Amino acid sequence: MSDFKIGLREQNSVHILELKGYLDAHTAPKLEEALQNLLGSSRYNIVVNCKDLSYISSAGLGVFMAFIEDVRKHSGDIKLTNMSPKVYNVFDLLGFPLLYEIFKEEQDAITRFFDKSKNPSSTLQ
Amino acid sequence: MKCGSSNSSPIEMPRRLSPALPNDPDSYESHFDNAALFEFSTVINSSLEPDFIYSHILLTIMGKLLSTRGIVLVADAAGRKEYVVEKVKGFEASLQGRRLAIPRMPRSLTFLEELDPGRHPWTEFFLSQGVKILLPLLIADKPIGTLGFGDRFSNRTLLSREKTYLRSLANISATAIEKSRTIAELQLVNRKLDRKIQELNTLFDLGKEFGALLDPEKLIRLLVFSLLGQVGVNRYLIALKDGADMRIAAARTDAGTPQGELLAELGRIKGPTLVEDYTVRGFVDPRPVLKSLGLSVIVPMQLQGETRGLMVLGEKLDRQPYLQADLEFLASLANLAIISLENARLFKETLEKQKLENELMIAREIQKGLLPSVLPGIDGLDIAATNISSKQVGGDYYDVLTMPDGRYIIAIGDVSGKGTPAALLMANLQATIRALVPLNLPLSELTGRVNELMCQNTGGNKFVTFFWGCVNPADCSLTYVNAGHNYPYLFHAGGSVDRLEKGGMILGIMQALVPYEQATISLVPGDMLVLFTDGVSEAMSRDSEEFGEERLERVLREHAGEGSTDIIDAVHRQILEFATGAPQSDDITMMVLKMSG
Repeated sequence: MSDFKIGLREQNSVHILELKGYLDAHTAPKLEEALQNLLGSSRYNIVVNCKDLSYISSAGLGVFMAFIEDVRKHSGDIKLTNMSPKVYNVFDLLGFPLLYEIFKEEQDAITRFFDKSKNPSSTLQ
Repeated sequence: MKCGSSNSSPIEMPRRLSPALPNDPDSYESHFDNAALFEFSTVINSSLEPDFIYSHILLTIMGKLLSTRGIVLVADAAGRKEYVVEKVKGFEASLQGRRLAIPRMPRSLTFLEELDPGRHPWTEFFLSQGVKILLPLLIADKPIGTLGFGDRFSNRTLLSREKTYLRSLANISATAIEKSRTIAELQLVNRKLDRKIQELNTLFDLGKEFGALLDPEKLIRLLVFSLLGQVGVNRYLIALKDGADMRIAAARTDAGTPQGELLAELGRIKGPTLVEDYTVRGFVDPRPVLKSLGLSVIVPMQLQGETRGLMVLGEKLDRQPYLQADLEFLASLANLAIISLENARLFKETLEKQKLENELMIAREIQKGLLPSVLPGIDGLDIAATNISSKQVGGDYYDVLTMPDGRYIIAIGDVSGKGTPAALLMANLQATIRALVPLNLPLSELTGRVNELMCQNTGGNKFVTFFWGCVNPADCSLTYVNAGHNYPYLFHAGGSVDRLEKGGMILGIMQALVPYEQATISLVPGDMLVLFTDGVSEAMSRDSEEFGEERLERVLREHAGEGSTDIIDAVHRQILEFATGAPQSDDITMMVLKMSG
């Protein structure tokens, strides 16, 4: 059984999901649920901290894709941070850096939310 | 940046490397050139960045030639006989990327104005741009590209030593360029491999998870996630075959979902197909609709060559076209998913069938439990009965009831239909009879009451054929009513046979317009009464022949001298022999009653 955990924090009304462990087809529904909960309570400024994420499969990436459109429609965004090179490589291979803002540090992503002029135009709509 | 020009610092190096400096000036120059070449080689080989390499080559040689303009052309990676302008210095930057065929490229330093433009028409391009000197880049005497330079500041003829030096620079440049290109190609191949591994990982990840999932909805959601993640699309439609039709299982499109007819048309394709390459097979052209929905590729989900579903996807978000490798991956993913979806469907079906069978078994057991397991012992009567269930639960019924005044009720019935509804109605019939018998009314009137109650309970869409009688041991009489049931046999001791027909219409259809009739007959020792349901007379052989009443009568006559249990066994045996293993669709129910006197 692959191990995957999600932590949730809030800072200046930005919600930070901390992913830990293996995000694959088996554990993807957990991330789906977590994002569904955030969107369900109208929280659209989301940072996903991947510091302790050891693996991500395409099903895991697909969960981000499934929600990004809704999030951006509500002028929010999902920004990703603190990826290990291995995890970044998967994002990169599948062309995700074109679609998502990826930061080295969580704080940079949070700050970015308050610099509205620099938020990505809604290319996904 | 050090450019290896004659005034740069590497003049220090040969002194250190070669302390015994020769006095000969030519030799001195040669040492100086060697040092510069060494440094040049070190610098351009220190980087794999083509732009840096090209710049350094151009600047170095421009310095040497005292020219202000340089250009690098490198052979097209695809191996065509074309050269691409990779870098310019001092020329129009827009030249970069220009392609040019250079047949019979010179193999050494060439002043372009000296070439015959008739034989070398390509020189025109260079000359028009102001390129005067060509320095080919050779590896094993084969051109991989060329350097070009504009006018020199000095018109001094190049010394042969200088030409050799330039050739050396060109050779080192050619090797460095080739190396950086090979490595870039390797990186590209590596990346493609990484991507393949990633695709395999996805299939493996899903295969593992699909195998453990039996819920089609979850399976579809996981498939969608993987498509979104792996392919990078956010417009999709997944349809699955349900019987003859395609039904949409999940979709996110620009505008609604397409109709069944269109899906049926798409279901005809055999392999992954781009919408723009689609050839219409039936009457509907799906292309305009798919385009309006934002969908651009159709992937059939195939199981043993049969299309069982469809994955239709939109454009990739990175705007890259779908390549053959993408289509192959999608086909694998589609086939993997359909196997799991089919398994889930079969599992659900089996589960439902099992549940149904369990229910039927319970119904059969309840029904069996309602039939009397032991018949009451009655003085002067030898009575036996049997009910053999068919595979399906039927609605056969028989009963023997003792009345407080010493009379007996014998009954047999057959509820229309099969399964749980028939068994329930049969239970209802039994309860009605048991409740009404103590009223002590004439049998004909009781039959009317039973019919009324059954009508209320069935709503008129089910019926019961029913025969019952009241045996009075005190005067050896039988009073009976036959409500549409197979006529029971009365074998008289003397050998003649009567069929008990009196009564009225079957129960449960409608209120009787004419009251039920009853008849009373006298019984003498040796008389035999045989009640049976149509499961006996209509038992089927393998050739779909009915057992028939003639055979039944013959068997009964042959065994008339035996006890009632033996007679029932004999009939059952004959039926089995006749059927020779053909499964029977109906219950076999029989009651034999002999006056033993």
